[in-house]
Amino acid sequence: ADMTLRASHQWPGGKGDVRDEMVQLIGKELEKADVGLKVQVFPGESLFKAKDQWGAVTKGQVDITAFPLDYASGRHPAFSATLMPGLVGSHERAKRLNDSPFMEDIKAEVEKAGAIILSDAWLAGGFVSSEKCITSPESAKGQTLRAAGPAFEEMLVGAGASISSMPSSEIYTGLQQNVLTGANTSSGSLVSYRIYEVTKCLTAPGENALWFMYEPILMSKRSFDRLDEKQQEAVMAAGKVAEDYFAGEAEKLDEELVKTYKDNGVEVTTMSKENYDAWLKIAKETSYKNFEEKVPNGKKLIDEALAVE
Amino acid sequence: MTPLLSGLVMLLVLLALLAIGTPIAFSLGLVAMGALYTVYGGFFLETVGEQFFGYLSPFTLVAVPMFILMGAAVASSPAGKDLYAALDRWLNRVPGGLVLSNLGACSIFAALSGSSPATCAAIGKMGIPEMRQRGYPAEIAAGSIAAGGTLGILIPPSVTMIVYGIATETSIGRLFLAGLLPGLMLTVFFMAWTIIACRRRGLGLSDLTQNFTMRERFAALPRVVPFLLIIAGVLYVLYGGHATPSEASGVGALFCLILVAVIYGIFSHSWKFSQMRVIFRDTLKESVMIMLIIGASELFAFALSSLFITQTVAQAIADMDVNRWVLMAVINLFLLVAGFFLPPVGVILMTAPILLPIITNAGFDPYWFAVILTINMEIGLITPPVGLNLYVINGIAPDITLAQILRGSLPYVLCMVLGIVALCAFPQIALFLPDYVMGAAK
Amino acid sequence: MRLYITVISAISRVLGVLAGAMLFSAVLSVSHMVFVRSVLGWSTVWQTEYTAYAIVAATFLGAPWVLIERGHVNVDILQLAAPRPLRTAMQVASALVSLLFVAMLAYAGWFYFEEAWSGGWTSDTVWAVPLWMPLLPMPVGTVMLALQYIAEIMRLALDGADPVEHQPVLFSASTEEARP
Ligand code: NA
Ligand code: NA
Repeated sequence: ADMTLRASHQWPGGKGDVRDEMVQLIGKELEKADVGLKVQVFPGESLFKAKDQWGAVTKGQVDITAFPLDYASGRHPAFSATLMPGLVGSHERAKRLNDSPFMEDIKAEVEKAGAIILSDAWLAGGFVSSEKCITSPESAKGQTLRAAGPAFEEMLVGAGASISSMPSSEIYTGLQQNVLTGANTSSGSLVSYRIYEVTKCLTAPGENALWFMYEPILMSKRSFDRLDEKQQEAVMAAGKVAEDYFAGEAEKLDEELVKTYKDNGVEVTTMSKENYDAWLKIAKETSYKNFEEKVPNGKKLIDEALAVE
Repeated sequence: MTPLLSGLVMLLVLLALLAIGTPIAFSLGLVAMGALYTVYGGFFLETVGEQFFGYLSPFTLVAVPMFILMGAAVASSPAGKDLYAALDRWLNRVPGGLVLSNLGACSIFAALSGSSPATCAAIGKMGIPEMRQRGYPAEIAAGSIAAGGTLGILIPPSVTMIVYGIATETSIGRLFLAGLLPGLMLTVFFMAWTIIACRRRGLGLSDLTQNFTMRERFAALPRVVPFLLIIAGVLYVLYGGHATPSEASGVGALFCLILVAVIYGIFSHSWKFSQMRVIFRDTLKESVMIMLIIGASELFAFALSSLFITQTVAQAIADMDVNRWVLMAVINLFLLVAGFFLPPVGVILMTAPILLPIITNAGFDPYWFAVILTINMEIGLITPPVGLNLYVINGIAPDITLAQILRGSLPYVLCMVLGIVALCAFPQIALFLPDYVMGAAK
Repeated sequence: MRLYITVISAISRVLGVLAGAMLFSAVLSVSHMVFVRSVLGWSTVWQTEYTAYAIVAATFLGAPWVLIERGHVNVDILQLAAPRPLRTAMQVASALVSLLFVAMLAYAGWFYFEEAWSGGWTSDTVWAVPLWMPLLPMPVGTVMLALQYIAEIMRLALDGADPVEHQPVLFSASTEEARP
């Protein structure tokens, strides 16, 4: 009989979310490979809650997961580098980053914790606001914002914004009830959570994208080691197919974001080079500094990432 | 074992554990643990700690203990009695005034407390003896209070609605608004039936009233108005865009605690500051119970999903392709039966996550369904064998037999069924207000 | 056995008081957050997290006391209908299966706490609170709940079945004691 691998993620299933598509694709590829493996996908947190997936995949309770790596930064502070303001910059550079010494270090820590990476994926994201467009740091001052992780929160506090920590599923209600005036998250989530219904302005990733998050497909090492050699090869090959598929889609996600927001009558803008530099300056004094102080090899990681062309 | 068969085994073991009197939380938890063992093997326990903690720690859940605290603060004070007295003095000229004051006080107190048995106890303690003294039959006095008390979980704020919102990830603010008009509609149904029932017994309602001077009328207000202001404040803060339900409930709880201490501390000799201990005892008891059921039912849902039972059941029902109203009738019947035995929070947590996808697939609105579900739970509160409100009435009016209370409640059950029918015919009764205030749900 | 019951129940009551304090602190921290944000316009960083942790702590620490108070709601119609010896058997059986679940949860809670403690884990927010602090109430509360269940079983063995009334009634204490 076939061995069934359990795959889990937090986004809507069967609705075209790119991360769901990647997991489904791995399932299809494995079936095609005919090595006695099939994948059962549990979308939309229907198995493990978003943040519980790290413990589950490293311990082998779930076999495969699409997981925003920064969610585990409380256990592995180095992972904060995968949601660090301005560290990536563009989809092109994200691809080059994947094979750099920086990502080798990150991946080594992932593997040490008990998971292996099947597919790399860097998602761009933007700001939304129900008050006024967030472009320069001054425009964020006085707004109450929800950031995706501690590194971004530190930068926003540095710009004079208030922070309201809440899970991304609460962004919609938060904005609707004016508890938040703005938020930042990935292009995919900005669309799938229908946040365009409650915002006035979107700052799209554009030329100067501040927000990039690493959301790879992970496999449990325990589960991987249980497979025979042929199966292991098939799994890695399927992961590569999903990664290539994502690379083709990455920029389309940002286009879809802009289109959806425009179609729904939301003002759409981007950051200028000056705005981007001003944010980066604050980030260097806050999140970068904290990261280098808190993480033992933090300085090395940042230097390695910045060294990539 | 196929998913459906393992689901059946889980259900049977759960029913057996519940039948011998095992607490709901621990029954759910143990069945879940057993099922998880078969899926993951012994080391599944290594992630359960993280999961269980995660189930209890979302900020939205904070609204549960906070609204309970708000209700306990109001319930511990003589506010219910004062509210009743004030309405009675102002409505005594209206035909059937005492009935109106009773049911009106029930619905306002429901808005204050978010809890059905608390509403029942607070208004019934004063209302039942008063109604009987003025010549109302025992059945009507008891039945109307038992039914009026159930409004506590429909008229906002409602702990039941919060739990539904958490279980189904729907907007709690929108749920609250959806419950308001149906709650008022049921109040009107209850009043109408009470007046009809009195007429049939040849009771002229004007004979049963008593006169008050304007001075007496105004004297009743100062202790009541502040609480009405708090509830208005909480709802304003919620819908005016200043806070989330968790935040509004927290601030509301603080204000209620202060008010109870100030108003009844100063104006009343019967209320002592040591009541604070009682308020916190009750809140702790109630919220620990609900929180543990929430955690355990999430674990249960995780086990169901791990065995692919949830997905298989949902698919099976989708494939049946029955008429959506037949489906709705079956679901209602199922909820009604579940409500006979289990408390509202238990039913909602166990069924909502499974029912919701089925409901939305059939083209029903999740907020409208929340109201339908809640009215079903209200019926459960005044029907045997497990009907909290019946036993509360039995406790506060021991001379009325349980059979009399039951006979008195039955027509109100029919009023609620009528309410469900009205909501099925005109979903706008539930959906108009949330759409109007918060914009149409997309 | 009597001594064990007395001692365990006393500890459970102390934890109950602690749970009440956690609950009150949650009320204050939510109110503080709303005030600071909407009136003073300051940044709020730690309040949502603290409030949620305080409620979880109140839940676990309060659980053993709630058991003493018969607050964990159950379906008691069969117990009501049963003759006394059978009722004792049902109450012992339900206490035993509850104990089994609670013991497993206690182990799971301890495992997670120990992981967070030895790994130096923090929450993944700006506040970055050491995770063992909010996690501690889980093993403490569940272990005490298990010990309290053992006490309940001993009590059933010594004294026989508890009388069963229709309860728990919501706010029974508040509404009973407050009425003049
Ligand atoms: Na209510
Ligand atoms: Na019932």
